[in-house]
Amino acid sequence: MTASQRDNAEWVSALRGPGEARELALAELREILVRGLRHGLRAWLEPDSPALEGLVQETAQEAVLRILDRLDTFEGRSRFTTWAHKVAVRIALSELRRKQWQDVSLDQMLEPEEGEARQMWLADSAPGPELAAEQSDMLALLGRIMREELTPHQMRVMEAVALRGVPLEALAQKMGVERNALYKLMHDARVKLKRRMAREGLSPAELMQVFETR
Amino acid sequence: MTTIRERLRRWLGLGSRPTARISPGAAAVLVRELESTQEVEFDCEQVHQLLDQFAEAVQRGEDGAAWMPLIRAHLERCTDCRQEFEALLRALQASWA
Repeated sequence: MTASQRDNAEWVSALRGPGEARELALAELREILVRGLRHGLRAWLEPDSPALEGLVQETAQEAVLRILDRLDTFEGRSRFTTWAHKVAVRIALSELRRKQWQDVSLDQMLEPEEGEARQMWLADSAPGPELAAEQSDMLALLGRIMREELTPHQMRVMEAVALRGVPLEALAQKMGVERNALYKLMHDARVKLKRRMAREGLSPAELMQVFETR
Repeated sequence: MTTIRERLRRWLGLGSRPTARISPGAAAVLVRELESTQEVEFDCEQVHQLLDQFAEAVQRGEDGAAWMPLIRAHLERCTDCRQEFEALLRALQASWA
């Protein structure tokens, strides 16, 4: 199968137009999205599995509707089908993350379980005595800077996402906010921490030498 | 010349070794995040707006646009956006196979 022969203007025109030409364009678009999703989601779901095929079909359906709804926002800076794949991929991965984290509460995302807390917060290696002392001082520094510079909300979000690997979007879905809002919140937190370190004459590179030495 | 540890202890006013709340591994992750932090970064929405253009440029082997390093930096940091970019590339490969 080769890529569509339609150019961008023809896609937009056909999808906006009436009658059979529009139906043909919709069917072709759906077929292109299905093919792309089957391939694009292979890292997430078993190829040829019912779970993959179900998600592909549902996503393609929803993506076509969203593409039609947002047709006016297509600026032609890429091929139309690339833009359409982008829309579909976001829908699919949002749904996958929602399903993966649906049984985890917001509290569980923000507050680690006891066993997880031990693993995360206590020393995970056994450096020599001098290094351990230096690391211990650095840990106190980080803790102090974080407490003084960040809001409790920023600290909890940073711990969950940066340190425990909770997907930004999964957390945003539970919190009822856009993922972008959480990214901005974390960026603001990182900038504040970095500026504070600079004011104290400490560079992240120096700190990395301490924490990454084994 | 004072060592970083001496400066730290003086700044912290430490008389005895403090209790660590965070593991060295987790601290390393956090500090790496800080090292790559820039005052101006693309957020997820800005990256999403350009992701289709970026994916095509990557496919063509182009790296000249001024905004591309900002996208790359975001993708290195943001797992969610990176996963979307990788899935998009795979979808495009299927489309043009």
